[in-house]
Amino acid sequence: MVIEIQRARIDVEAVVSSVRRDDAGAIVVFLGSVRSDPEVQALDYEVYKPMALRTLTELVERAKEKFGALEMSIVHRVGRVPVGGDSVVLACAAAHRSEAFAACAWAMDEVKRIVPIWKTEAGPRTPRSRRGRKVP
Amino acid sequence: MQVQVRLFATYREIVGAGQLAWTLRDGTTVGQLVEAVLAKYPRLVGHGNSMLLAVNHEVVRPDSVLMEGDEVALLPPVSGGAW
Repeated sequence: MVIEIQRARIDVEAVVSSVRRDDAGAIVVFLGSVRSDPEVQALDYEVYKPMALRTLTELVERAKEKFGALEMSIVHRVGRVPVGGDSVVLACAAAHRSEAFAACAWAMDEVKRIVPIWKTEAGPRTPRSRRGRKVP
Repeated sequence: MQVQVRLFATYREIVGAGQLAWTLRDGTTVGQLVEAVLAKYPRLVGHGNSMLLAVNHEVVRPDSVLMEGDEVALLPPVSGGAW
């Protein structure tokens, strides 16, 4: 299991490799990407890191119990992520694809529901004072 | 006793700081602390109903009693992505 919150670009292949197991016949990978919009050039993500790491770790354990997933890793970016960039990568390994798809979908819903990460849109009308600001 | 209050996203912008040291009487609950914070920063009042509360990285109810050194987080509704 890899649980990380980082400013750097996510290495998708490394996340996939972290869940590979000989007894896993299916690996489902979800990439959450910043979608283009006339008012959006990037998204700024802010995190309460110790709580987010704890919540992510707990939800991975719950996903394994609930769906029989064998392994799961989640990496989330913080700071500014441009349009087209991946802000989250989740990889889930299971014996068969049905468990892997179900666990992946459930875990992503939980990430959006309970993990303390907030986003703000950065676009052409974003005040200069907020552009490129550091987030904790 | 003293606790640390952490603020994020909209709340941090309203208060103008991400962390505040707050002195309380022994036996104060999280809900009472929130009332004191809202009284000092009235622009937060409209957000009170959607606020999630955590102590030492764990979600708590407003009637939880605080201890010296606790880290209390006032969390706006989570908005992790647009996927």
